[in-house]
Amino acid sequence: MKILLIEDDQIIADFIQRGMKEAGHGIDHFEDGRTGLQAALQDNYDVAILDLMLPHLDGLSIIDRLRERKKNVPIIILSAKRTVDDRIQGLRHGGDDYLTKPFSFSELQARVESLLRRAQNIAEPTSLTFHNLSMDLLARTVTRAGKKIELQPKEFALLEYLVRHAGHVVSKTMIMERVWDYNFDPGTNVVEARISKLREKVDKDFDLPLIQTIRGLGYVFKKPHD
Amino acid sequence: MIKLPNTLSFRLTLWYASAFLVCFVAALVILYVSTQSILNGRLDTDLKEDIADFQEFYEEGNLKHVIQEIEREMASSEDSEIFFRLFTGDGHALFSSEFSYWKEIDAGRAPLARPPSQPMLETRTISSQDYPVRIVTGQIGPDVVLQIGESQGKIHEIMQVFVVVLGAIIALGIPLACGVGWLIARQAVAGIEEVGRAARDLGKGELDRRVTFTPHGEEIQSLADTFNAMAERIQRLIQEMREMTDNIAHDLRSPIARIRAMSETAMGESFTNGDYHKIAGATLKECDRLMQMINTTLDMAEIEAGASTQKNDRVDFSRLVTDLCELFEPLTEEKGIQLSLSLEPDCYLVGHKQNLQRMVANLLDNAVKYTGPKGTVRVTLSRQNSHCGLAIADTGVGIPSSDLNRVFDRFFRCDHSRSPINGCGLGLSFAWAVAKSHGGDIHVTSELHKGSTFSVDLPVEHVLR
Repeated sequence: MKILLIEDDQIIADFIQRGMKEAGHGIDHFEDGRTGLQAALQDNYDVAILDLMLPHLDGLSIIDRLRERKKNVPIIILSAKRTVDDRIQGLRHGGDDYLTKPFSFSELQARVESLLRRAQNIAEPTSLTFHNLSMDLLARTVTRAGKKIELQPKEFALLEYLVRHAGHVVSKTMIMERVWDYNFDPGTNVVEARISKLREKVDKDFDLPLIQTIRGLGYVFKKPHD
Repeated sequence: MIKLPNTLSFRLTLWYASAFLVCFVAALVILYVSTQSILNGRLDTDLKEDIADFQEFYEEGNLKHVIQEIEREMASSEDSEIFFRLFTGDGHALFSSEFSYWKEIDAGRAPLARPPSQPMLETRTISSQDYPVRIVTGQIGPDVVLQIGESQGKIHEIMQVFVVVLGAIIALGIPLACGVGWLIARQAVAGIEEVGRAARDLGKGELDRRVTFTPHGEEIQSLADTFNAMAERIQRLIQEMREMTDNIAHDLRSPIARIRAMSETAMGESFTNGDYHKIAGATLKECDRLMQMINTTLDMAEIEAGASTQKNDRVDFSRLVTDLCELFEPLTEEKGIQLSLSLEPDCYLVGHKQNLQRMVANLLDNAVKYTGPKGTVRVTLSRQNSHCGLAIADTGVGIPSSDLNRVFDRFFRCDHSRSPINGCGLGLSFAWAVAKSHGGDIHVTSELHKGSTFSVDLPVEHVLR
């Protein structure tokens, strides 16, 4: 996968480039709007990530020019502007997603990959498997090592979200937004308490713990020391 | 052209004086006209009465007696003021008083053809006389006609005096009207000017400037009161803003200090990979806290400015509270807190769903945070007529009564709770802002070491401002 990054903040750009390369994606970085737009028009990128405030040509104008020339590359807008209006404006210009700075890398990665799946029309899976755990998304059942695990609806949704992002860190904010549909942090330890209940059911009586806590970042579904 | 001053007091004076003058002059004109007509009427009546008197004289005596009476009358009057003439029924002169002043009367006029059955009145102007003459002609006996003419000079003299007096009154009235008008205008405008001065001073930064004088008139009083209320609010807002800036600076400084300290520690040489991970994690946590603080502050400003509250969703508030309670359940279980619910179903509100969620979440979070093991958090949702009442009662540490009225202030945290529990001190003020923006209210009652109860009261069909 080939990603275009137009971002003038060197530290943020390094952070994204490093992460995407580690995740196995190719990424080209441009610091200003004009050269970035040229690259976007000449090459065929799978996803573009662009900042709104850029030298020479701002992000919204880049989107306008791209859409004028019928370039349908999926675009994620990165911006420090956080109001609903800014978001709506970005999406109206033809952006596909909007991420507010500061953001966690795992969130960006999740959004990039979801845009990509959408662009490539990959069908949603009906079941998920990881190590010896499998989830049937239609029957809403979970088995691990052949043993059936009883989960409440919200616990199922939480586990599904973790397994779907297996190998990637998901933050508490992402969990709140995607599993509970709350766009705010409802308080101190709500997610932690949910996770620890889920661990009791999914990890406690089995060979390996699969839900890992990453300090300060969130959680990741993976085998320990992988 | 002379430029007239364009001040309110000048114009008020002008208006007042003009209105006063117009009314005054109108009254005088009416008085003048009616006096004149009364005097004229009186003259006519006198003349007719004279004819009647002479009729009697004629009946009592004869023509001679009449002439004697005429001569007696003439002796007490000036020849130029009155005249008497006697005619026969077909117009032949029988007698005349001194007539040298009145010669022109008959000029250009047909002699009396037939004696009038009723006394006849007419007014004649003749060049030898300054004033018109009023003439009555009437029959006083068979074949005897009496004509009396009386100059209107007396009436005119009275009216002239009248005009002089009226003129003097008006001449005095104009400056008086202007003076009174000016005084009234000054009084009215003085209040406005004082408010203007106060506003200028306030604008220059004298925040404690108020309008102190006692104005005349309710309008000016209300202007002064409104101004003072506004000045009060401005002062309070600026005061609050200063405090808030101080608080924000303090609350931003602490996490930055921690991040700085951790980064500096990480530059030490004896560090292992695991230590770096720990420090990076802690740094991230501090950053998130900072972000949350900034965002909440901005959200609150938006709510207070009414910007983000344009949304008017129909919200199932019962459902919203139920869902949030369910969200907090594992946490209460973990902490050994009993979460007891008594929720009336189908409480619908119109409002901003996400902000309402956050408000309830903040209150629940607060209750759970400050309640120890074996405690209880009781959530009650009830509906009374057009209001939904949500009460969240805990058996936690409670709030000292001295702090009760400050818990909704931004960045306020009770001292005893400051150290062990983290939070940005914005949760309750956010809840307060949301309740207010939905036309509702929020209260707290508390007893130290026994627990606190937060009650939110929201109108059912309130349209957000």
